[in-house]
Amino acid sequence: MRYDYEEGNLSIKLDEELDMNSCKVLRNVIDGYIMRYQPKNFEIDLSDVKFMDSSGIGLLMGRYNLIKLIDGSMVIKNPSNSIKRIIELSNISSQITLRCE
Amino acid sequence: MENNMEIKIKALLENVAVVRVAISTFISSLDITIDDLMDIKTAISEAVTNSIEHGYDGILTEDSKVVVRAYLTSQEEDVIKVEIEDLGVGIEDIELATTPAYTSKPELEHAGMGFTIMETFMDEVFIDSKKDEGTIITLTKRIRKKKSKIV
Repeated sequence: MRYDYEEGNLSIKLDEELDMNSCKVLRNVIDGYIMRYQPKNFEIDLSDVKFMDSSGIGLLMGRYNLIKLIDGSMVIKNPSNSIKRIIELSNISSQITLRCE
Repeated sequence: MENNMEIKIKALLENVAVVRVAISTFISSLDITIDDLMDIKTAISEAVTNSIEHGYDGILTEDSKVVVRAYLTSQEEDVIKVEIEDLGVGIEDIELATTPAYTSKPELEHAGMGFTIMETFMDEVFIDSKKDEGTIITLTKRIRKKKSKIV
């Protein structure tokens, strides 16, 4: 995982497989950064994530709820095809912007 | 062609990745698309995670294992059948457990999508569960063979 903060924009780039095991740790780490920087714009970059199951949906949903509390916006960047299908199965796709570059 | 394998893990979340790697390797000899491979991996990851998180619910003894059996048969089509078995608490209300977005643990950020993903990504999902005895989830996927093949 890498993070980058600049002028209200917090970007987190994940590179691990997102399952229940990794998400349990990641959510605390990511929330730490969100609380520290209180970003206006929050981006999670999934370019290097090779696998995600429904635990990843829980992770994205939880971060979205936190970002909403501080009036920020959230973007999910570059999910792979199979991850996109999982996101689209859930109702978070109607709330969070997906961006592919 | 017929093949099968069985792997038994202690019910720990870090072992779910072990099952995913084993399954990927087991079916890698098939003529299968990346999408189909990811579907199978994801569905099995959901089932094994359920066994650990809900079946054993954090109460681990020496006997808290999850057994994954995979069967491969190839005739007109390739059929992958995977059984995920635990000896945990069982599912009391299967209808409720399989309701999309239902989770018994919202505070842990579970999305409640495990069964939805299994049902969407696999051709068949069969649930056999007895209270206090355990659960067997059987997942089946059929892979249609491509018509032409480069030899």
